[in-house]
Amino acid sequence: MMNFLSDPILALLWFGAVGLSVALYILLDGADLGLGILSLFPRKESERALMMHTMGPIWDANETWLVIAGGMLFGAFPTAYGIILSALYIPVMTMLFGLILRAASFEFHAFSVKKRFWSFLFGFGSLLAGVGQGLAVGGLLSGITIVNGEFAGSAFDFFTPLTVLLTIGVLMSYVFVGYAYLIKKTGAETSPGTYLRILITGAVTGVALLGATLLLPTRSYLFFTRWTEYPSNYLLYCITALMGALSLWLILLVFKRHTGPALHNLCLGIFICAMLGMLVGVFPYLIPPSMTIFEAASSRQTLLFMLVGLGPLFPIVLAYNFYLHKVFSRDEGEHKSRAQIYGE
Amino acid sequence: MDVLTVSRIQFGSTAAFHILWPLMSIGLSLFMVVMEAMWLKTKDIKYFHQLKFWTKIFILTFAIGTASGIPLEFEFGTNWAKFSSAAGDFFGNILGFESTVAFALEAAFLGIFVFGWEKVSARVHFFANLMIFVGATLSAFWIMAANSWMQVPIGVTVENGKLIVTDYLVAIFNPDTMVSFLHMWVACIESTLFMMMGICALVLLSRKASHEVKDFFIQTFKYCLIIAIVVTPLQIGLGDLSGTTIAKYQPAKLAATELHWETNAPGTGADWALVAWPNATNDGNSFEIKIPKVLSVLTTHSLTGRVPGLNEFHPDDRPSLINDIIVFYSFRIMVAIGFILFLLMILGCWYWKKGLLTIERTAHDRLFWWLFVLGTPLGFIATEAGWMVREIGRQPWVVYHLLRTKNGLSSGLDANTVIATTGIFAIIYLAFSILFVYFVWKIVAKGPDFNARPPVV
Repeated sequence: MMNFLSDPILALLWFGAVGLSVALYILLDGADLGLGILSLFPRKESERALMMHTMGPIWDANETWLVIAGGMLFGAFPTAYGIILSALYIPVMTMLFGLILRAASFEFHAFSVKKRFWSFLFGFGSLLAGVGQGLAVGGLLSGITIVNGEFAGSAFDFFTPLTVLLTIGVLMSYVFVGYAYLIKKTGAETSPGTYLRILITGAVTGVALLGATLLLPTRSYLFFTRWTEYPSNYLLYCITALMGALSLWLILLVFKRHTGPALHNLCLGIFICAMLGMLVGVFPYLIPPSMTIFEAASSRQTLLFMLVGLGPLFPIVLAYNFYLHKVFSRDEGEHKSRAQIYGE
Repeated sequence: MDVLTVSRIQFGSTAAFHILWPLMSIGLSLFMVVMEAMWLKTKDIKYFHQLKFWTKIFILTFAIGTASGIPLEFEFGTNWAKFSSAAGDFFGNILGFESTVAFALEAAFLGIFVFGWEKVSARVHFFANLMIFVGATLSAFWIMAANSWMQVPIGVTVENGKLIVTDYLVAIFNPDTMVSFLHMWVACIESTLFMMMGICALVLLSRKASHEVKDFFIQTFKYCLIIAIVVTPLQIGLGDLSGTTIAKYQPAKLAATELHWETNAPGTGADWALVAWPNATNDGNSFEIKIPKVLSVLTTHSLTGRVPGLNEFHPDDRPSLINDIIVFYSFRIMVAIGFILFLLMILGCWYWKKGLLTIERTAHDRLFWWLFVLGTPLGFIATEAGWMVREIGRQPWVVYHLLRTKNGLSSGLDANTVIATTGIFAIIYLAFSILFVYFVWKIVAKGPDFNARPPVV
């Protein structure tokens, strides 16, 4: 069946699907997590509530991309799924506890009179989820010890200087995109200093990621060659240049105190550049530098079955998510919680 | 404790907690679909109020369901890496279907359903409601397909220690899948109905609730009762079907469920133990009360049908002593509750027929209503008990006769890390359970909003 699809192409297709889901998760839920972290700071409950309500209708759907990415990774690359998750036990559990707290306190906040407590827990959950994701990315890039197709390291292997820098970078970038999203949704600076904070969080993200980029070659020679060998080096130069240009554009808009969606879009552009850079850095490894996409892939039969079963559905999932975002893009200024709608 | 035991406790307890919420999401979303359909058809505002009120509780169950479901997907990788690697070809694939097809559908349409009242047409809104129910049902189907394959793993071959799929449709629609899916799906509806009827009964017993509020809840009670007329007997039938499937494909599990040790000789019937306790050497019962021939009748539907006893199986290939005891009593609890809920349904219908289901009568027939209050948790207890039989009865295998549970564990796991994370899960989940009851209490105490008017789009 479908002989024109060779095994490597099938594996690449599924790598693409997993990668796309992860990318969509970061692009969509990154802002939600950032707003959650931000909601820890305002003193006024109304400000915190505003931050939570801007994401009300969509954050459930945004989080599904993580579940989809996990499910696809499990289905298409089961061995890598087991190795990565068992090696990153503590980061993954940290993220899960964060997501659990966040999801439940979001609804409890709506129904409770003790808003302060639940908005705090929501923010704390978002922070924890962001920390877990940062630690996980750091742990993956720091290298995982594999012997005979099994994880052969220890529980704290993930914790390296590189991981610390990447965690700071991930958290700050979420806050950064969260601010931009808030300006897009509310059409104004909700509290004085938002523009300054966009610059600060953006700058910290940049410094942390730059530091991480310099540390990467100390973990594996693979990353060194990516900057020195053709063609990956040219790709990386181009991506870096594009990222720089987008950042300058963003800084310009910040100084003009822009209130439209352009700020958020530029943030997403910078995110996409960063992810493309990472892709160029690790390809074709799923667990750099030990296991490639092709070594980790499921049997041909499975990849084909998933392709036939899920392939046609993927565009439908994308379509109704797009519809969801479209329905709720016109609701500037009337941010209600679920419970308010239901008369609590 | 060894890392295998704590990992099993972690997975078992987090799964046992999670299952409560999709149970209610499926049940409540069915009720919501019926109410919205009735409202669109009749334009009677009372259905709209029912829909609005029960949606509040649905939102809570969905949130906790999502929160507790995500960890399960990842636990397969964190704690059961070798299982993921060996069985992922089929199992991971099916979970991929579940998350992409089913869960994504629910989550996206929930946003439209809850927030979209004034933004989309009545038809689109009803469609969103329906998609939540369809998504929840599909989700249950895929999860049951994945789990059923762990019970009856066919359609695969073993290559280099990995289970490679040879025929997908055979693996997905293995003999256990449809029976177990329907049994579970009906359990979701039945448990939710009796939970809702319990809540209604509690309000009807209250001396403070107004006539209008009581009228609202007596309506809910009647709608639930109508659905229960179909569901309760159906579930008993599905339970029987499920039992005969186990007898055929997992005879060791069935024997453990019944603490049945010696295979009955040809021409004689196997006895059914009402109560029993295994002896310390785990090869017979030290105490039992038996009813002749009933086990043969139950499992083979014949007086002399052959039922293999536990001693036919090597002790390493069947559940351990403690597992035997758990599945034996869990099974009895489940079956007893199945019949209790059926009898409650009959009682409810009889009262209705006699014209006693009125607000005026609630002051007199307090025992009747208290019985339904006591019924509130029964469906959930039965479902948990059923899963105990299903999962503990499968031991020592994680994939029946192909992969032992101990060989599915991740390498390099640290027992203390697993204990610590299990503890955190336990604390969070306990808090969620208490908070859920508290918030439902608050929602019920506040009562439905009779001033709510449907939006004009």
